[in-house]
Amino acid sequence: MEAKDLFDIKMVFSNIPDILRFLPVTMELAVGAMIFSLVFGLLIALIRMKRIRVLSQIAVLFISVIRGTPILVQLYVTYYGIPMFLKYLNIKNGTAYNVNNVPGIIYAFVALAINESAFNAEIIRASLQSVDKGQIEAAHSLGMTYFQVLRRIILPEAIEVALPSLGNSFIGLIKGTSLAFTCAVVEMTAQGRIIAGRNFRYFEVYCSLAIIYWVITIIIERIIKLLEKKMAIPEQIVETGKEGDVA
Amino acid sequence: MIGVKNLKKRFGDNVVLDGVDLTIQQGEVIAIIGPSGTGKSTLLRCIDRLERPEEGELQIGDLQVDLSRASRKDMINIRKRTAMVFQNWNLFHKKTALENVMEGLIVVKKLSKEQARQIAEEQLKNVGLYEWRNHYPRHLSGGQQQRVAIARALAMEPDLLLLDEPTSALDPELVGEVLETILKVAQEGYTMLLVSHEMSFVRKVATRVIFMENGHIIEDGTPGEIFNHPKSDRVRDFVRKIEMFNAPEYVI
Ligand SMILES: Nc1ncnc2c1ncn2[C@@H]1O[C@H](COP(=O)(O)OP(=O)(O)OP(=O)(O)O)[C@@H](O)[C@H]1O
Ligand SMILES: [Mg+2]
Repeated sequence: MEAKDLFDIKMVFSNIPDILRFLPVTMELAVGAMIFSLVFGLLIALIRMKRIRVLSQIAVLFISVIRGTPILVQLYVTYYGIPMFLKYLNIKNGTAYNVNNVPGIIYAFVALAINESAFNAEIIRASLQSVDKGQIEAAHSLGMTYFQVLRRIILPEAIEVALPSLGNSFIGLIKGTSLAFTCAVVEMTAQGRIIAGRNFRYFEVYCSLAIIYWVITIIIERIIKLLEKKMAIPEQIVETGKEGDVA
Repeated sequence: MIGVKNLKKRFGDNVVLDGVDLTIQQGEVIAIIGPSGTGKSTLLRCIDRLERPEEGELQIGDLQVDLSRASRKDMINIRKRTAMVFQNWNLFHKKTALENVMEGLIVVKKLSKEQARQIAEEQLKNVGLYEWRNHYPRHLSGGQQQRVAIARALAMEPDLLLLDEPTSALDPELVGEVLETILKVAQEGYTMLLVSHEMSFVRKVATRVIFMENGHIIEDGTPGEIFNHPKSDRVRDFVRKIEMFNAPEYVI
């Protein structure tokens, strides 16, 4: 074996199309879990802010447990826990769910979505609380209901505040999907391992994966920056005169 | 007729309103004066149900509500008939001046966007800010923002307009334009409850003046009575002191 055969740089790039065939799986997992976590996270944030009894305590416990345990462990707990739970239901109710028919991606989705929810709930809560209370009182004083105030006044401002953090959280989630192989899901990283298993070029494959995740991250960062710009209050007004104050 | 009966509000051990009674006739412009911390703001906030009193009844026209037990629906009904102008104007940051005025019309009054726009433009003209309708609050001066807030309140056609020190957070040179707007509104016949420390303005705009202290209404009379012939020493001292320190820096 010669030194130049140690590292096949061409292979790093030739692997990429083969891995990218599984980009949709990665993105489905990440986008799906993200959407779920935004809705569920908002719900948890509201429960905590409104200090709803019992639910609020459960929410605190939930966030503490999820944030205090590794995502890998959570994936395994889901992967082994859900089938056990289904079997329990079968025995208890005499039903016949086929435990083996549940696709692995469901387990991965559940674990990632729940994990992401716990983190996003805190981001969302902080952003909701950052909205100036005077505006909220003014909206109530006009006769709006709580949900009208939330939707029309609080959320538009809170989303702008939360966007950078939620963006980071989403990037973390995409990288987190690389652990979905634990639930027997073939996404990009799993596909990479399969390729490497065939040709034993592990280093090249992981280099390919690194490049792919890095590029995706850069693209998402760009999109977030664009969204931020779009949401910000424009610096200067173009339409109608600035002059002509009557007073 | 608008009536407040036996309004009581405390924060912990601090009794802020100790059974306030007040009857307001349509078209009256009532100024509330009194030392700091005597519950003037709290009175206005209880009437708008931004604060929940322990006791008290509110009547606005045919609407009668026990303020201590108001349901969500009651609260919204009260707020539809009253409008509040805040010390710090509290405009919606992410909406333009026009959108600020349109918001209540669309969401609460359920008007179409077109109708809301027409009314909002009319109201902004009325406060002299039509040209500024597409500006965001942060690109307006404090005085302009407060005039937008007044337009936003008036657009809702309230039976009672509540103003809590509408000029005290403004730079002195901006006070005049806001007082001018309030005077104009008063002359249009709106029923108003105004908390203010601008005594010369109060003399000019109010049809009735109320002096509050320690959660009680101490005196209630015409501006002439309160300012020139106060019954109690407390009121005389207060008026003299505040007129001495608050020499107006604006001219209307
Ligand atoms: N949310 C609150 N929590 C606790 N105490 C409060 C609250 N709001 C007002 N207070 C207290 O109630 C009392 C009356 O306050 P209020 O703001 O009604 O007075 P004010 O007459 O408007 O005074 P100022 O002229 O300074 O505006 C004060 O002692 C104040 O500290
Ligand atoms: Mg006050």
